[in-house]
Amino acid sequence: MSDFDAIDSLLDAVGPEAELPPCPVRRELRERARLSKAQVARALGVSPSTLGGWESGRDPAGEVRTKYAYLLDGLNAKLATETESATETEAAPAAEQPVTSGTAPTATPLSSPDLGQDEGIDRDGDGDDVELLAAPEPCVLCGHPAGQRVAGFAQHLTPADCRPTAAGAPAAPPAGQPTAHTSKTPLRTTRPAREAQRSKGPARHAFQETSGPVGLIREAVQGALAEHRGDVDAATAALVRRAIPDAMRLLDETRKGARYDVIAHPWIPDILKKQTARGADQIWEARPKWTRHELPPGRHQVTALDINGAYLSALKTHLPLGRLEHSTGLAHDRRRSGVHLITPPEWEHEAVLPNPIGQRDEPGPLWVTEPTLRLLLRLSGPRHQLCEPPQIHESYTSGATENLLEKFRIALKDARDTAIEQGDTVTLEYVKAMYSKFVSTMGESNYNRELYRPDWMHLIRSQAFANLWLKALKAHDEGLAVVRAMGTDELHVIGDWRRVFAEGRAVTEVKVKDTYTAGTDTAEHTGEGE
Amino acid sequence: MPQKNIDFGRFGARGIKGSDAVARKLDELAGGIATPVTAKRGWMARLHYLTKSTQTLKAAQDAGLTVTHRTLKAWLEGKRRPSKTSLERIDQAYRTVRRHNVARHLLRRLNRDGRGTRVEIHPLNQSQVPQQLQRVVEYRTMNVRRWDRIVGSWAAGDHQSLDAAWQDTIVDLGSQWGQYEYVTNVGFAA
Repeated sequence: MSDFDAIDSLLDAVGPEAELPPCPVRRELRERARLSKAQVARALGVSPSTLGGWESGRDPAGEVRTKYAYLLDGLNAKLATETESATETEAAPAAEQPVTSGTAPTATPLSSPDLGQDEGIDRDGDGDDVELLAAPEPCVLCGHPAGQRVAGFAQHLTPADCRPTAAGAPAAPPAGQPTAHTSKTPLRTTRPAREAQRSKGPARHAFQETSGPVGLIREAVQGALAEHRGDVDAATAALVRRAIPDAMRLLDETRKGARYDVIAHPWIPDILKKQTARGADQIWEARPKWTRHELPPGRHQVTALDINGAYLSALKTHLPLGRLEHSTGLAHDRRRSGVHLITPPEWEHEAVLPNPIGQRDEPGPLWVTEPTLRLLLRLSGPRHQLCEPPQIHESYTSGATENLLEKFRIALKDARDTAIEQGDTVTLEYVKAMYSKFVSTMGESNYNRELYRPDWMHLIRSQAFANLWLKALKAHDEGLAVVRAMGTDELHVIGDWRRVFAEGRAVTEVKVKDTYTAGTDTAEHTGEGE
Repeated sequence: MPQKNIDFGRFGARGIKGSDAVARKLDELAGGIATPVTAKRGWMARLHYLTKSTQTLKAAQDAGLTVTHRTLKAWLEGKRRPSKTSLERIDQAYRTVRRHNVARHLLRRLNRDGRGTRVEIHPLNQSQVPQQLQRVVEYRTMNVRRWDRIVGSWAAGDHQSLDAAWQDTIVDLGSQWGQYEYVTNVGFAA
């Protein structure tokens, strides 16, 4: 019999798989709950990189899928109740007082469906718990998929959503409502309304403490707008002027309780010091400046793509923590980071891809930074085999982490995303000034004396260049012809790039700067605008 | 080891006196003429700085630039070149006067209306010390609120009182302050 038991339990296990929200929502839920990948991964018993995979396209299977769905569902519910109670405490005392006081007596605990519909309006009656569902369930009132669960029953919150049955229509769903798009709707439909409420005015701050780094940015913007009486241009100018100290304050805020100190004034080796007042130091940042010599035959439509927020994304790089220590003749250590004197390998793909060390005129060894070295090592590895491995002669390195500026980056990215969503140009400019000035003044600049890390500045810039280079490689591997890779964020390609890169304004997407046609016979296509 | 070091470097530790590092950093913050005094451009600029007004000239004379007006005039007109010893004196006088002039502003920025400035202390270098004698010496930071004595003795060029002032400051690090008498670097911004 025990054999049959085993089979029975197997049969029980075979069933409909737990439904999961789409990948971006998974990630957003986790980030909004301020949980790290490692924390979540530990709870689920998987590795953080696996979790990263689930958040960027792959799907878990089996038992762990059920666990993951349970977690996301719980997070969703928790966040929904939190944000709602937050917005209500902000909005209710001022405006909704009469409304709530009028209807509150009727909002007794949910017993009958009829009361439930009224309940939708003033759900701040404190007795019941509204949870948001990651995967919609049929509403107990009208049968349509609903994203919320009130007191254990899935249902719509507003009578408007439930109207078909409320008006006496049959319970069958009308054809106009496809069920496919509903998995996203609960989050998407509720959020704009909430955010519109949120941006109503500065009055709500009387009831709320500053909530972390993003709150800092929002407060600065609102303060500037209030100070300049809503004059957008003046407020933007004022914010841009104070971007550097504000970025430093934001950095301090994001490093609260962190494991590593931001060491701002370490001893700096001579190679990182400027040789003259206006001169540069000896570090080669590998800035790409490459144009394809010969186009493939025929006339082509070339698209100039622009990588969004290149320096913002480049804040995620392996940054050395302490003072740089000298070493010679050692192999590359993945746990350390810094600058290296290398002899770069020969590059034989100049015709189709830029040289990863940039447009170098002089031969011989040169000081490169960690991202460039890692890029070269990666390209020489078994997967790509595009060049020989570089020879490392000398290094100045220190123990490194990729997470030093991670919270800082996420805070800026979130503020940027929200600003784009709401068309808020003030915040957008402010955020842009913050990260770009932060990077450009973190070295030996008199505009920011609180941070003297020329090494970080070089590393972050090189990371931006390496990111662009990898985008060029991706385009090349997908069959596009790369025509030009220039600066930090400019990539010209021939072909259907939309199947390779997503178009948009998020940092993971690209936007079109320009399109032009390039001729057949000309060796240089240089910008003959169409 | 809470006290001062007696024979620093006996076992191979390397570093400089904390007060020297502070003076170096303050000099860096004070800025000034970058061209070396041996170049004509350098000593000319220093002389111009020192002869800008009667007060600065007086200060320069107090700081050791004891030459006659005639000599000064000849130097400034380019008729004569200062000798090697005179160049040293010019440099010395320039540094003293510059420090004195900058000290007031630097002090205000460092005190920041009583909020003080965060100071990073980078510990001494033990890489040459035998393994069994190496000790864990951590990177430390502290907030220094009162800079008056430090900047004052730096401006006066008084090494001993600067050392004493700095030592009184790092005592706040706690019982291990002796480990930070010698450092590789002291970092702060103004």
